[in-house]
Amino acid sequence: MGLLALGTALDWPEAKKCADQVRKWGIEQLLANWRRARGKERDALLWGDEVEYLVVAVDEETKKARLSLAQADILKSLARDEALWKSGNSPPPQNKDHEGEEPPTFHPEFGRFMLEATPGEPWGIDFKDLLKVESNMKWRREIAKAHMAPNEYPITLTTFPRLGTKDDYIQPYYPPSGPALRSQFVPDEIANPHIRFPTLAANIRTRRGRKVELNVPVFKDINTADPFKDPTVDYDLHHWPEDDDVRNGAAKDDHVYMDAMAFGMGSCCLQITFQAKNMTEGRKLYDQLSPLGPILLALTAATPIYKGFLVDTDVRWNQIGNAVDDRTRGELGEAPLQNDRWRIPKSRYASNSTYISQDPRLRKEYLDPDLIVDEDIKKRLMEGGMDDLLATHFAHLFIRDPLVIFSEDLEELDLSKADHFENLQSTNWQHMRFKPPPPEKSDIGWRVEFRSMEIQTTDFENAAFCIFIVLVTRAILSFDLNFYIPIQRTTENMETAHARNAVLDQKFYFRKNPFSPRSRRHHPQPAQSASNSQVSSATSSAYNTPPPSPPLGPVESEYDLMTISDIINGSASGSFPGLIPLVESYLNSLNVDVETRCSLASYLDLIRKRANGTLWTGARWIREFVASHPGYKHDSVVSEEICYDLVKAVDEMSVHEGKNGTVGWELLRGRK
Amino acid sequence: MKLILSTSNIMTGGGPSVIRQATTDKSNVELINSLRSNFQASQQLFAPDATATYPSWTRLDNGALYIPAIDFSQPGLAEERSQYDITVKLFYLPGIPASRRCAHTREAIDLVLKELHADSIDLLIVSFPGILFDAEDDSEEEVSSENGSEEPDDFDSIIQTWKTLEGLQEKGLISQLGVAEFGSERLARFLPHTKVKPSVDQINLKDCCVVPKSLILYAKQENIQLLTHNDCMDILPCGTTRELLGPGEKGAGILGSTPDANDGLQGDVEPQWVVKYTAVVKDRGVVENKGYFALADVGNCVKARS
Repeated sequence: MGLLALGTALDWPEAKKCADQVRKWGIEQLLANWRRARGKERDALLWGDEVEYLVVAVDEETKKARLSLAQADILKSLARDEALWKSGNSPPPQNKDHEGEEPPTFHPEFGRFMLEATPGEPWGIDFKDLLKVESNMKWRREIAKAHMAPNEYPITLTTFPRLGTKDDYIQPYYPPSGPALRSQFVPDEIANPHIRFPTLAANIRTRRGRKVELNVPVFKDINTADPFKDPTVDYDLHHWPEDDDVRNGAAKDDHVYMDAMAFGMGSCCLQITFQAKNMTEGRKLYDQLSPLGPILLALTAATPIYKGFLVDTDVRWNQIGNAVDDRTRGELGEAPLQNDRWRIPKSRYASNSTYISQDPRLRKEYLDPDLIVDEDIKKRLMEGGMDDLLATHFAHLFIRDPLVIFSEDLEELDLSKADHFENLQSTNWQHMRFKPPPPEKSDIGWRVEFRSMEIQTTDFENAAFCIFIVLVTRAILSFDLNFYIPIQRTTENMETAHARNAVLDQKFYFRKNPFSPRSRRHHPQPAQSASNSQVSSATSSAYNTPPPSPPLGPVESEYDLMTISDIINGSASGSFPGLIPLVESYLNSLNVDVETRCSLASYLDLIRKRANGTLWTGARWIREFVASHPGYKHDSVVSEEICYDLVKAVDEMSVHEGKNGTVGWELLRGRK
Repeated sequence: MKLILSTSNIMTGGGPSVIRQATTDKSNVELINSLRSNFQASQQLFAPDATATYPSWTRLDNGALYIPAIDFSQPGLAEERSQYDITVKLFYLPGIPASRRCAHTREAIDLVLKELHADSIDLLIVSFPGILFDAEDDSEEEVSSENGSEEPDDFDSIIQTWKTLEGLQEKGLISQLGVAEFGSERLARFLPHTKVKPSVDQINLKDCCVVPKSLILYAKQENIQLLTHNDCMDILPCGTTRELLGPGEKGAGILGSTPDANDGLQGDVEPQWVVKYTAVVKDRGVVENKGYFALADVGNCVKARS
């Protein structure tokens, strides 16, 4: 999450009136920036990872784990130290393991119980850099911990298992049902108090016309009630008009019901941003990484508990989508369209719907025929010189309303900034993001963000997944791989990835042959016999034009349903080579030193074994932890006691990483 | 006659044939498959010409038959030379007298430079036949070649060869030199005889996490980088070459099925060397061009071994 601007945020009816202006100005800023930066060339590969943490306070006496709302204090304390390092008054937190590395930086996130940490400077492709990632992540955790109270821990679970329960799951305690969120489960104080966040939550709710609605199917254990009616829902609350939502059927049978942005945006993710060589390469990576989004989501699955109940899904994705879904009933297709322009099939937080690369391999059949586009905006972008594909992409993102508008920013259009553009760009939370260079920083190039992965409990795993994706991007560019499938199949895959144990039990659409037809640089001349070798180069009559490429078959014949293991490790039949063998083949073409190759091998081994089931996903491990806990009554309920033990186990795992049979060996080592 | 086999750029042209399943050990599958697929692709571009002495998709030039024909006028790299790290690995093959290596080295490097339109390479690694590093006991096994009759590569010839390489380095053709499969003992024996020390020792390890401590320490002390590879020792055996170039279903239809057969070029075939080149965009980690050349003698030019 970037810098937070200050100002007077407009409430919804006011903000809505300014939406067109913000969109128009945003598009003008985009065009100005695109013109300035489209020729940027030869930027190095730089990349950065973002790790997000929950801050959990543990009470050893009462055996309770609570979310700590200490974000502001922790960040203040971190900033104080950082200022000291920068002014030279105190040494930065260097130690011999991190010589020459910039100290990591910490950022606020939506939840007041969250922290985000990034490396102090971006990584390169030098293999020495790849080896620093894991230790840098550990360093971040140490620094974060050092700025917390002794009983507080930075935990990398995607969600806190008991967020939104009836008890005091936060510290300090605030009662729910505040004016911004109007949630019957979480207080307004759960969100970062910066004006942006309560405004974002309130404007989503107001625009939508009711509270956000998250219904996650409950995991039906042997003692779970049937039908299951979420026992934590209060049908007799009368503080806010939105309290009627549940009386109007918002909470569904057999589902865990949640009603606030915090249930989604309070999730921790693992995101990576890559700088591309130029815009063309950025557009290619955006397209080629897109089909990998759902695969990596299923492979990193780590979210089987919501609001104190085991649920029947393994990942966070759709919950976040629903938690920020600002669509009206009309846009959702539940009521006739009145004030709105379109029915919109996806939330602002969803799998992406566009391909943008000017790649001859991109068939028009891969595009979404029902894509919603603001035609006026597209027209303006194309008049401004932008090509159809990219203009379509941005005109699709700009179908949304800006949610947080500061009145001070509406006085004058500044084409040297990107604030209005970013207002829409960064509230389109799709699983890929294509990022133009920031106008104020000329040394930054075109970037692509890969956003679908779930945070893992240990830094070893987080480093492994980051490095794997980095290597996949290098393999894509080196082998000129082609992962295109119709983008609607990726949308379907995203849904498939939610199923319990999807990593082993489900199949995903994936392209069968990732290789491009042979592109020949050399055009051989005809043969010459020994006697006429001097003259024959002129008589090229034997030269045939290359046979026309075989006519393309139906798009449906290009892809198939595959298991995650087929996609990652290669299919048994050998038809799909597998991402790991592709990465290995890439590595075999480079000069890699022994130590590096050994570390990379351990990372790739984790991915390989997660895919083939030798190692468990986080979701499976958490399920097994709950199921085998003596306090579990097989009624889907994750009690305070189980939550406490789970948090302790996860913290222990982040330290011992399942070595020598310690907790978590099933997802890290595969043997005791 | 000399036969010059080439793969062209296998990164973009090879397809599935160059990707190996992770379970297979080191092998020469990449070389053989990419040669074969390059032959097939070239054959498809040309109409057969029954009157020509050699297939229309090859080219005879200066007594060497290029299989397939190569158009060296095409640019080898997309950007200028300074953007790349160019690594070349030269495999001296078993059974070929060490006395030919001086000429072979020059020949191989010239081809690579011509192909990439470059005037120098960053790292040349040489692989001597018969030396196989064994991680278990940190001593190289000296393996005999295919037919078992050859002596393992002897130390003197390695030193002789190295002098050639030092000469090329002095001329600015090569920035750094490297060896393959040297254990610490061999390195220790070798270094005193060198003017230009190898900067790299490339070792093949099934499990690269098992490297003998003695080698790690010695390499560190001598400032030699230990790199990994997965090439096999006898990368292009005679039998494989005949199969590749012969008349069979998988062959290129250039050589006869046996030295005496009438279904192609007559005579024995003897691979002399294989060279692998890789051009990597430095700060982006992208392998832009990778390929192989192999040279084989056939027929009356198979020289007697002195």
